[in-house]
Amino acid sequence: MAFINNILSTALAALNIAVNALANIIFAPIGFLPGWLSNTIISAVMGVLLLILFKYTSNQKAIGRTRDYIKANMLALKLFKDELSITFVSQGKVFLGAFRLLFHSLRPLLVMMVPAVMILAQMAGWYQFRPLKTGETALVTIKLNNADPKNNNNPNGNTNRILPEVSLAPSPAAEMTIGPVRIAQLNEIRWQIQARQIGQHNLTFNVAGQDYHKQLHVGPGLQKISPLRPGWKWYDIILYPLEKPFPADSPIQEISIDYPNRPGWADGSNNWMIYFFLVSMAFALLFKSALKVKI
Amino acid sequence: MNNNNKNLNRRDFLKATTATAAGLTWATALNPVWGGATNSARRKKVVIIGIDGMDPNLAQSMMDAGKLPTFDKLRREGGYSKLGTSIPPQSPVAWASFINGAGPGSHGIFDFIHRNPAQQCTPFYSAAETVAGSGFWQVGDHRLQLPFWPFNHTPSKTVLKRGGTPFWDYLDAAGIESTFYDLPSNYPPSKSKHGHHRCLSGMGTPDLLGSYGTYQHFAEDGPLRPKDEGGGYRSMLFFESETTEAELIGPYNEFLTNPKPVKVKFLVHRDLTSDAAAIDIQDHKILLKKGQWSDWLKIDFEMVMPSFLPNEHVGGICRFYLQEVSPNFRLYVTPINIDPSDPAVRITEPEKFIKEISKDLNLFYTTGFQEDHKALTNGVFSDDEYVAQTADVLDERFNLLNYATKNYDDGLLFFYFSSTDLQSHMFWWDSDEKHPLRSPAGAKHYFEHLQSVYSRMDKMIADILKRYGNDALVMVLSDHGFANFKRQFGVNTWLRENGYLYPSNCNSILRDADWPRTRAYGLGINGIYLNLKGRERDGVVQPGPQSEQLLDEITDKLMALRDTNGQPVIRNVYRSSRVYQGSETALAPDLVLGYYRGYRASWTTCLGDTEPEILSDNKSAWSADHCSDALEVPGVLFSNRPIKHPSPALMDLAPTVLAEYQLPRPDTMTGTNIFET
Repeated sequence: MAFINNILSTALAALNIAVNALANIIFAPIGFLPGWLSNTIISAVMGVLLLILFKYTSNQKAIGRTRDYIKANMLALKLFKDELSITFVSQGKVFLGAFRLLFHSLRPLLVMMVPAVMILAQMAGWYQFRPLKTGETALVTIKLNNADPKNNNNPNGNTNRILPEVSLAPSPAAEMTIGPVRIAQLNEIRWQIQARQIGQHNLTFNVAGQDYHKQLHVGPGLQKISPLRPGWKWYDIILYPLEKPFPADSPIQEISIDYPNRPGWADGSNNWMIYFFLVSMAFALLFKSALKVKI
Repeated sequence: MNNNNKNLNRRDFLKATTATAAGLTWATALNPVWGGATNSARRKKVVIIGIDGMDPNLAQSMMDAGKLPTFDKLRREGGYSKLGTSIPPQSPVAWASFINGAGPGSHGIFDFIHRNPAQQCTPFYSAAETVAGSGFWQVGDHRLQLPFWPFNHTPSKTVLKRGGTPFWDYLDAAGIESTFYDLPSNYPPSKSKHGHHRCLSGMGTPDLLGSYGTYQHFAEDGPLRPKDEGGGYRSMLFFESETTEAELIGPYNEFLTNPKPVKVKFLVHRDLTSDAAAIDIQDHKILLKKGQWSDWLKIDFEMVMPSFLPNEHVGGICRFYLQEVSPNFRLYVTPINIDPSDPAVRITEPEKFIKEISKDLNLFYTTGFQEDHKALTNGVFSDDEYVAQTADVLDERFNLLNYATKNYDDGLLFFYFSSTDLQSHMFWWDSDEKHPLRSPAGAKHYFEHLQSVYSRMDKMIADILKRYGNDALVMVLSDHGFANFKRQFGVNTWLRENGYLYPSNCNSILRDADWPRTRAYGLGINGIYLNLKGRERDGVVQPGPQSEQLLDEITDKLMALRDTNGQPVIRNVYRSSRVYQGSETALAPDLVLGYYRGYRASWTTCLGDTEPEILSDNKSAWSADHCSDALEVPGVLFSNRPIKHPSPALMDLAPTVLAEYQLPRPDTMTGTNIFET
């Protein structure tokens, strides 16, 4: 598993560099457009693009045949509604057709999954959270790598000593208001910070003379936010692509900041994703005939 | 009223304008149907601020010293008077009298606690009662109520026990808007028939556990098993590697045949070096340092249902307060309040009103008793911690007042403050006598703090006058004043020692009274009841001459009662048949005791218990009270208009408001307009 994780993490980390660079250009207008408008445009374009991708990665002929098969059996249901045996057989065939359609969708789904997740992860950076306001507090959590209390024979039972000394460097961007609270059982250290200065900043953590950074966003409007700088886990790397992951042997495994959810019916937390699916589906259906795609 | 309809679309606008035009036409044509209020009268503004327990003696001395400049200005340029309170001067009784414009005989609330004579004295809260449901479908360990055909089970419900007609019903019928915030003696809130009345219930509103505020306290020196100490639960914490797990006790799962409380587990991690702790509860991760409060947190209590049904969820809100990290970790959790953004029970009229408020203010205290006096009485809070908690409550209430004024255009606006009352109970001490708990310097210090609360009220009134001074009738009132509570009178002990209550070693009328021999008993704070034949289940005293003679005898003996220093204890004994008029007198005590300042019924009397001595020192942090004689603790009344009534009382306010809107005084009201001689 570690081997697979290593391969996937390396690949995704490299891919993220390219995707981030591209997304910085393509999605730059989000920063100044109204959130609902930018989400509508992206969803519409994505709906059409994914439709085209579906066309070329799926077996369109087989899908066409299956749809005809379903249609024929639907017709049989209508024509022979008084014949119980035909009704049951046709109903079964309709279900079978539906399963076949699902099967034919698997390949395009697998092909589309990775780019779709990467695009959604980029969009989440914009829409899922809002930056901190000045004066607002947030929880900062670091997950440590090498502090398993079970492997530590500490005669004093003082578990605080098990965790390495980690310091959060003072910054004009944010003031540390509580902490550090060291949680040996969870291999975590938490702080509460209070935002002070508008802008994109870096929080600096020091472990054994080595500095580690985490982006911090303060200010109004839409900003691309990274709530988590991930560790060497492929699923975190794909979901949180905006910051470089910590290597597997890093004493810090991840750093997170609990940003507030963004309000908004089309561009707010979670709603943005529902809106994305609805609009992209609507545009896909709208362009289905024009692009001659069978789904 | 502005109901925050900011997102009015074209269709709504057309509907609204059409409806308004039609309404105006009908209103003009059908003026008598609206109770005689003219359009101009309907647009009048009346603002009433209720400051529970504001005492006239303290207010006057502070005004004389220039410490309450706004109240003093009202006294000089408007109107000021002591305000007659109810018999007895207890808040639910007093506010219900304000609501009905008539005495307790009209609303049927005579004490915080009433008893059910048919069940031989089972006590219940006087202003509201939970009526048990009927019928259920037994499914394993669960009892399911199906309130539809063909089952037609009746779920349990809480009913408002206040009788009579509240004065806002007359405003409602006349099309005059009225909005009440934190109104006491109105839980569950009464319904508006015409849609012109809104109300957020105040005193009497329970927490999610159904109590009037149950805090939870977790400490390393707590009891091994969670202990209910009357007003709160205490539990022990045991840290392992500086982490511990605890359980927050939630509401009972009433779907179970044997209802059990729903518990929510949470983790506490402490850091001794930082003197701080992390709390992980459900989706919330919070950090607190010593002496810090969390924000309000939403907690979901999941009620397990039979396997074929989805589980039910009830939401509440609470705040955590980290008192100490080491050497004795102590964590306080507020009572679990009803979530105003998604209330589990109805606490406003209309039901959506609370959500509208919450949209603006987010989360806030919704229980009737917001200041956690029980935590101070039980030693969970220090004096200063209580001061800080009450300051938070007051800040929240000022925010709510700000919301109230922002959303107020015309009609009646009523706003209630409990802080003065619940801080006076704990911090009032206006004599050189020894305080039950504090040193003379300490008693003086906290009495000065109480005066600072009065000053905050003064500033708040200044703001109200600045907003509405010229456009509105502004009245500020309190339901009663305050007095030291130094000595307590054991009513049942006295009755027992004087041969009215048996056996001679009776400890509690609820547990070991000898009813066939008992002629009188005490329950609640001010009441004495005869064990009357035909009324009490086991009654022995014959109504008529026998009961009259007994009442006279008890009255004479009580009036002759003297403390060990020769001081009289009881100023008045009121015969309820003489002081209460109206249709709601069935549950009235037969005698109502009015104590001199410094005295009150003992703590054990309230629930029918006895104690070793008839008169003893009060040793509680609850060191001041108002449940004495009504003449000892009048309230205050300020107005920005001269008061002409020579001795205004609480029941005069409702007729005054009706008169302001040119509505006639109903026959059920006994009060009169204070602006007329």
